Amino acid sequence: MGESELHPEVSVVADIVSNERLQSRDGLSAQRMPPLEAASQPGRRADRKRRSLLLISTLSVLLVLALWYFSTERGWVSPVFLPKPGRVLGEGAASLASGQLLIDIWMSTQRVLLGFMLAGAVAIPLGIVMAVWAPAKAAVDPFVSLLRPLPSITWIPLTMLWLGIGEAQKIAIVFMGSWIYILLYTIESTKRVDPLLIRAARNLGARDLHVMLHVILPGALPGIIAGLKVTLAISWSCVLTAEMIAAQNGLGAVIWQGKDWGNLALVLVGMLCISIVVLLADKAAGVLERLMLPWERHTRN
Amino acid sequence: MSPVLAARNVTKVFTTGKDQSLLAVDNLSFEIGDGEFLCLLGASGCGKSTILNMFAGFIQPTSGEVLLRDKPIVDIEPRCGMIFQSYALFPWKTVRGNVEFGLLMKGLSRAERRERAAAFIEMVNLRGFEEHYPAELSGGMQQRVTIARLLAADPEVLLMDEPFAALDAMTRQVMQEELLRIQERSGKTVVFITHSIDEALILSSRILVMSARPGRIKAVITNDLSTPRHIAVQVSPEYGKLKSTVWDLIESEVRRHSMEPAPN
Repeated sequence: MGESELHPEVSVVADIVSNERLQSRDGLSAQRMPPLEAASQPGRRADRKRRSLLLISTLSVLLVLALWYFSTERGWVSPVFLPKPGRVLGEGAASLASGQLLIDIWMSTQRVLLGFMLAGAVAIPLGIVMAVWAPAKAAVDPFVSLLRPLPSITWIPLTMLWLGIGEAQKIAIVFMGSWIYILLYTIESTKRVDPLLIRAARNLGARDLHVMLHVILPGALPGIIAGLKVTLAISWSCVLTAEMIAAQNGLGAVIWQGKDWGNLALVLVGMLCISIVVLLADKAAGVLERLMLPWERHTRN
Repeated sequence: MSPVLAARNVTKVFTTGKDQSLLAVDNLSFEIGDGEFLCLLGASGCGKSTILNMFAGFIQPTSGEVLLRDKPIVDIEPRCGMIFQSYALFPWKTVRGNVEFGLLMKGLSRAERRERAAAFIEMVNLRGFEEHYPAELSGGMQQRVTIARLLAADPEVLLMDEPFAALDAMTRQVMQEELLRIQERSGKTVVFITHSIDEALILSSRILVMSARPGRIKAVITNDLSTPRHIAVQVSPEYGKLKSTVWDLIESEVRRHSMEPAPN
């Protein structure tokens, strides 16, 4: 019901998340079957299938790289439009060696983390309160509706006026772009906590505070964490926008400098770094998620 | 002897839509004595669950009152512990965490909780599974965890809403025997909902046969099959006689009910 309230992007992800849950619940009965020789056969087949799919992925990447290499090497594409892979590698190695690239990566990461954590610190408690207490939701909802359609980039003039062009402004941009998504995910997953479990807890003598600590919070946690993972990627795109407009350093600034100096290789280095860093951040979040939700391991596969 | 639980002229009407309502329970009165194993037997839609939910305090009667030891039940009542058909275990707590929950709510120390929980886990034959999460267990094992969790919380009455309905037939028999054993040992009062005549005959000391929609008491049958009871009681001639008595009472209800269109 509340899914339609979410931003379309987020609601698709929410669908995927809930589908995953449903599937895993169906899978549960299969999991309980004794893992005899009959079970290992399809297991091995799935393994082989996974390996052949991985091979296809690898080949596809190699094919695109080869296409890039030959098209630039043979002069089919002018280096003005696309630099040679070797140039990009060289540029990357040079900026790594000078240490500047690591500083840029660290600056962006720092801004994302600060803005993102600030957004979580505000949105998670607020979302839980809004989910369990209707007056709070009624009070905040109008602002959520008004602020949600605004891309974080639209906050740049105001935040610059208020905060200058220092770190605080970048963090504010990340915050403004992230908190609403975390809020919506938190409200949604708090509302989805099984009311039967709340009933059961009360029947076992739990009072409000205990219901909150032992049922609502852990029940909503998987959904909140899923929301944080999606939002983390959004936070990254916010920081890059902010850095492209006004920053001395950071990956967004790298790309913009590359453009200003006509150094396309540097632009590509910046883009590549963003992809890798966001990918690593997502992996790290996945590890953290598994550590925080030990019970989900059993409902997932 | 004053009853543990009582329903006095209880009526429950659910509003199902604009100007539409459903009379689920109609002017029902009965009492349940200490240590009794009462089965509420009836076809689906006879208001059995409604009655149980009122005893647990999850819902309030539209008129009349439900009493626990002569005091009206007006809020969720932990002294009437509920076993749900769908288990309602906390997925994020281990078996031990689930069983300790009621003790934690009572403010017992960690050591005390451990000790008592261990005893109840042992009682339902789940030793060695303390650190498992509910999702790792079979349905029968999960339902045993809920029983241990409730017994550990030490309510006066166990309310059981078709607790074994989701289990396969063989597991169900094993669970029925275990429940009998546990009830004999603990002496708890049990109110048990079922639509299986066999289940009612095996478990109960008394059976309330309910009529369907609105829920009324059609007959009260004292189950005098010998105790302690065993599944083998099913092959005795007394069992057969009792079963056909109950079936005669229920058959017309089931037929009448299956002819009618459902109200929603």
